[in-house]
Amino acid sequence: MTIDPTDIPRYAGGSRVPGWDDAADLSKDPAGIPDPAQTPVPDDLRAEIEELMTRYPERRSAAIPALYAVQNRYGWCTPQGVEQAACVMRLTPGYLTAVATFYDMLETKPVGRNNVYVCTNISCSLCGADELLAALREELGEDPDVNLRGFECLGACDIAPMASVNGEYVGPITLDEVPELARQIRAGQEPLPAKQLRLRPSADPKVNAG
Amino acid sequence: MTDILLFKDIDEPDLHTLPVYERRGGYHQLRAALGTPRDQLIASLKGSGLRGRGGAGFSMGMKASFLPQGTMQKYVVVNADESEPGTFKDRELMQKNPHQLIEGIVIAAYAVDATKSFIYIRGEYVHQADVLDAAIAEAYAAGHLGENVHGSGFDCSLVLHRGAGAYICGEETGLLDSLEGKRGNPRLKPPFPANQGLFQGPTLINNVETLSTIPHILELGFETYAAIGVKNSSGTKLVSVSGNVRHPGNFEIELGMKSRDIIYGLAGGPPEGREVKFWFPGGSSSPVLTPDDLDLPYDFDSLAQSGSMLGSGAIIVVDDSQSVVDVCLKLAKFYAHESCGKCTPCREGTNWTVKMLRRVQDGTATPMDLDIMASVQERIIGNCLCVLGDAMAMPVGSMIAKFRGEFEQHIETARAANEAQALSGALA
Amino acid sequence: MPRPVVKEITFTLNGREVQAPENMILADAALQFGDVEIPVFCYEPKIGSPVGACRMCLVEVEGLPKLQAGCATPIKDGMVVHTDTPRVKEAQEAILEFILINHPLDCPVCDKGGECPLQDKSFGWGGGISRMIEPKRHFEKPLALSPLIAIDRERCILCYRCVRFSQEVSEDDQLILQERGADTYVATFDGHPYVAPFSGNIIELCPVGALTSRPYRFRARPWDIEQSGSVCTLCPAQCNVSFTVRDDRVLRVLQRDNDEVDDGWLCDKGRFAYQAMHVDERVTQPLLRDGGELRPVSWELALDTAAKALGRAGTKVAALAGGESTNEEGWLLQRLMREAIGSPDIDSRAGGTLDIGLHRALSDPRAQASVVDLEFAHAVLVLDTEPVDDAPILDLRLRKGARRNAVKLFVATSRPSSLDGRATAITRFAPGAGEALVAALDAAIAGRDIDALARAAGSTAADVRALADGLKAAGEDVVILWGERLTHGPRGDHAARALLNLSATLGLPGRDGAGLLQIPAAANGRGLREVGVLPNAGPGLSETPAGRDADAIADAAAAGEIAALYLLHTDPLLDQRRRQVWDAALEKASTVIAHASFLTPGIREHATVVFPGESHAEKEGTVVHPDGRLQRLRRAIGRPHETRGEWQVLADLSKRLGTDLGVLTSSMATAKLVAQIPFYAGMTLDAIGGRGLRWPAADGAAAFPSGAAAPFALESPPVAAEPNGRLRLGTFRSVWAAPEVEASPALHFLHPRQRVELSPADAERLGIGQGTKVVVGSNGHSVSGVAELRAATPEGSVFLESALDADSAGVLDGPLVEVRKA
Repeated sequence: MTIDPTDIPRYAGGSRVPGWDDAADLSKDPAGIPDPAQTPVPDDLRAEIEELMTRYPERRSAAIPALYAVQNRYGWCTPQGVEQAACVMRLTPGYLTAVATFYDMLETKPVGRNNVYVCTNISCSLCGADELLAALREELGEDPDVNLRGFECLGACDIAPMASVNGEYVGPITLDEVPELARQIRAGQEPLPAKQLRLRPSADPKVNAG
Repeated sequence: MTDILLFKDIDEPDLHTLPVYERRGGYHQLRAALGTPRDQLIASLKGSGLRGRGGAGFSMGMKASFLPQGTMQKYVVVNADESEPGTFKDRELMQKNPHQLIEGIVIAAYAVDATKSFIYIRGEYVHQADVLDAAIAEAYAAGHLGENVHGSGFDCSLVLHRGAGAYICGEETGLLDSLEGKRGNPRLKPPFPANQGLFQGPTLINNVETLSTIPHILELGFETYAAIGVKNSSGTKLVSVSGNVRHPGNFEIELGMKSRDIIYGLAGGPPEGREVKFWFPGGSSSPVLTPDDLDLPYDFDSLAQSGSMLGSGAIIVVDDSQSVVDVCLKLAKFYAHESCGKCTPCREGTNWTVKMLRRVQDGTATPMDLDIMASVQERIIGNCLCVLGDAMAMPVGSMIAKFRGEFEQHIETARAANEAQALSGALA
Repeated sequence: MPRPVVKEITFTLNGREVQAPENMILADAALQFGDVEIPVFCYEPKIGSPVGACRMCLVEVEGLPKLQAGCATPIKDGMVVHTDTPRVKEAQEAILEFILINHPLDCPVCDKGGECPLQDKSFGWGGGISRMIEPKRHFEKPLALSPLIAIDRERCILCYRCVRFSQEVSEDDQLILQERGADTYVATFDGHPYVAPFSGNIIELCPVGALTSRPYRFRARPWDIEQSGSVCTLCPAQCNVSFTVRDDRVLRVLQRDNDEVDDGWLCDKGRFAYQAMHVDERVTQPLLRDGGELRPVSWELALDTAAKALGRAGTKVAALAGGESTNEEGWLLQRLMREAIGSPDIDSRAGGTLDIGLHRALSDPRAQASVVDLEFAHAVLVLDTEPVDDAPILDLRLRKGARRNAVKLFVATSRPSSLDGRATAITRFAPGAGEALVAALDAAIAGRDIDALARAAGSTAADVRALADGLKAAGEDVVILWGERLTHGPRGDHAARALLNLSATLGLPGRDGAGLLQIPAAANGRGLREVGVLPNAGPGLSETPAGRDADAIADAAAAGEIAALYLLHTDPLLDQRRRQVWDAALEKASTVIAHASFLTPGIREHATVVFPGESHAEKEGTVVHPDGRLQRLRRAIGRPHETRGEWQVLADLSKRLGTDLGVLTSSMATAKLVAQIPFYAGMTLDAIGGRGLRWPAADGAAAFPSGAAAPFALESPPVAAEPNGRLRLGTFRSVWAAPEVEASPALHFLHPRQRVELSPADAERLGIGQGTKVVVGSNGHSVSGVAELRAATPEGSVFLESALDADSAGVLDGPLVEVRKA
């Protein structure tokens, strides 16, 4: 009889963390620095990572940019993509995985291509961010193309509650704008053009006085 | 008005482009600085009294003077990771006036003889990073950056590095590790970055606002700049006001301004019919203050004396419609999520605090848990590798201390509700 | 590079004045000089600089407002430290409370229980109560991290020692932290197992029961076991070990910190191959060939048969000693041969005779470097050796020097090295062309023309010059870490002369902290040479009538000129070149007497008498480390079944042949051999003790016989063969190619199979892909294997493993081979 750990009450109270219950697959070879002779890397990805490495005194510094390059290409930091980056950077894929899992914006599991981050930190939640996230989740449903996440402070408390749609900051978002926003996200359109942060003048009454 | 420096004409169209910035006199201070002896520049920075605008409030000039002399490779790193909840001032500076920052960077780099500079910008600031990238390209093309800047013989490279979402990378040594391509774990100090920073080289690391202020200090003369503000808090400060206020946003104030005038005067105060319940004066890491503290002058020393801090200059206002338990849990969850996990008290303490607060929220805690929680905060403070643990423990501790009655009331209310629900369930 | 200079200072510890070296880490100074333990978890100076992560070591330093991490505070003169104030106690209790909130209290079923630092710290510094009422975290456990290591993530306290070991010591970067904050866990990339030559060290580093040894799990409790110190003789690195013994069985091998030998690390072979001591395949009683089969017989019969056969053979007897033989065994063997039998045909090397003057010059104490020198030299030249295979623990030392002290590494090998990534300059040369390479390098450093020499080496003048310029620029303290194989083969003398010239050109003889350090091909290779197991030198590298070397023995035996072969811990089919000649030699010899623990192919097929071999946990005696350190083996367990001390077998045989060697105990043998070797003066067993003693640094060194003196006039080395469609054959012996590895169930998965390493260009030309089955042939012999494409493999060369049971490269003759798809 196999026991499903999720059925065991004592497991329910503790936080279950993905990965903690995974053993190593002993049929695999150890993951050292990938040998270029055994690791085909797409030319453009190789060129991009090689260029990134030239920007820094030490090549390791390009770890985050290289992982972004992998993520942009494959949608997330796939094991294969991480191996390719590791091969170009002469690092182990483990090293890059350790980096990737540290940062919130690097995805190590498959996600939708459209990143929608809703800030749920203090200032935004004081202004209704939790309700906004719930409404967006309801509206977008389980859309496989959308990576909807509650996110820590995005640094735009002046437009609370707000969201970052593929990097474009929009807010304040009212609940009645949620269907429109969801439609724009799905259609790949500019999100709420009138509410984009980049167009917003400063709030300081003195600065534009002249 | 002398209290508008950084934000002067901030909404002027195309201020982010080089022609507009130069037309307004931009990069004059750089040219002048390149002809000034380095020690004189550092003396000016010291004399200005400029204190770091990122959170710790350390004298910028002093920091610059700590870098050793010599021919080793030195670095300037700009902390543009602005991730302290409630803070969004650097975002506006980078988006609207990137050349002001670049000019400040090159002057600082020249002053400490650092030929390589990096801006570490948080990955979420996509638009601002794009603006900076374009501005850096313009500055290179115009000779403000690159080899032999304006024929001075001084080389200055500048690379924009985008982070990938981790609050801890706003901590300067965590930022350096991240910039070196590692997990952004803070380092043991000493050695301090001024001696061993990026790639083990002497490194000047400063916040965006701090560096953006440098051209203004040189333009005004450091004595004039030092006269702005109050004792130990000279100059102007960008204040981000958010939360339950009518006009959230960034405001440039002269340090020493009355807090009430910022919250009510500039930001319009809480919405109609609401009162300030408590406020964070310097980002979510600062111990909360109450309405009784609203008349405090907004400067480093006054806020420190009140038991809190100016921090990053981010005021979060919480009005009387909000539950302190909710805010406290939100805050603790944030720090637990952002703890890097390197040191024990922060990793375990933040996580435990969240678990206890969840029980407070759902009514399964007792007042004794509040004592344990307060004690846990005390056991975190001062025992961590960096300040992240303290950043949770101080405000959480202050909320429990100042709003203990409400915590207890909340537990009692939630417990009663649970019982009523259980009873109705049993009856049905 | 100057070693750190230590200055004594005085600091105040809990009100007492304590003297200690300046800048020593407070936690260390308090314990060593103040008898005060500052509790630590993450701090382990062996790994690297402190990280201050666990915060267990917080102490009060007067003048500083915050508590300081004792693991990261260097002590200064006049510093006032308190480790027992209420404030410090509160902090210690706080940290232990935090550590224990998610640590399961499953100590009764935990393998670490009873020897667990967390238990000890909780007992010594903990608050004693738990205030956390939330459920602890629970996860599946234990999980396999590798075939050797189990991981229990519930127990992990995230001290990061294991991950730091992987990143900063072994530098394999396989073991990583995933996620962040309280979710952080130790893992590997995408579920790959953590398999690396040094992986087992993380088990010992773990301060809780999160990482446990799968072979040891639940085999014993700390109160069941005893620790017994000795030396591992499975490779020339001769790491100091401590055997965990229960009921006269070795159940575990732990490191026994000796920073002049191993720095406190072990390789996985040394750590896990103990299993081979207790397997059924082990030979534990004398065997005699009877009707084609080896059958167990009594000692009396076996000794008698052997003695009679040797008697019949007269002087037509030859002997080989393998690397696991101790000095005593080697010394007795050469006496048996030279005194009792009267044959000078004895060897312990695999590559032919080296002139005695060169042997002496290469071992000259004035030109010797020590292991510690590898860490502090300006530069280390790794020459024709792969440390991770040939003496694994030195690989870690080289990395440490490069990482901590900026020692510049230079690599000159035929096969790509695992140290390439650390190297300042790399030069590749054709397999077997080491002589030309060394001559070219010497010429380049001296500023002579090198084009012809570099071409002869199959290298390029530019590469050699880059190496020469790098070495010159690095500084004067240069250590040349060279593999014995450089001096193998018919031109061994020439290569040795070139090497001595290079050493002289670099000014190494007589310079402290610089010199030559040879990695012998066999574990006790140096000791066996020094005690006289050479065809042309007696004990103490003394002059002696010349005999046949191993190659000549093989030829003579194959030609029927040798009647009996005596094999002390060696199977020529695995340990010698020219496998088919040896096959014929063993076939032809009427008597083959072997000391062996396992019936490897040559023994299995050809031995007539087999004496059971002792394992290194059963042996007494001494061995000599490559840097001249005499080390002492001590018995940890009794010999199994009928196994006898092998020194005794040699003495017995000699007696039966009519020569009493006058040796009644192993220590008598030690005393007599030391007395016979002038430069071992003063090396008593007591003096050697548990840490060993380097004779080149002791008084007796003055008595070392002087050897041939550089500079030598060199003749032009032969030019490396041009591949012309074929490939140059390079061979190597993997660290895992050992009978003990094959016999240990836990390590069996590592026992190598033939991988044919090819460059991508050659592979493409031959139509071979990664993993393709290929056949490599020369002179009518061939081996099969699986193609392994390596970008760093030089075009025109192919590398195969030797010392394998099947498909060993030993059957191939260089310099060129054909490679084709199977």
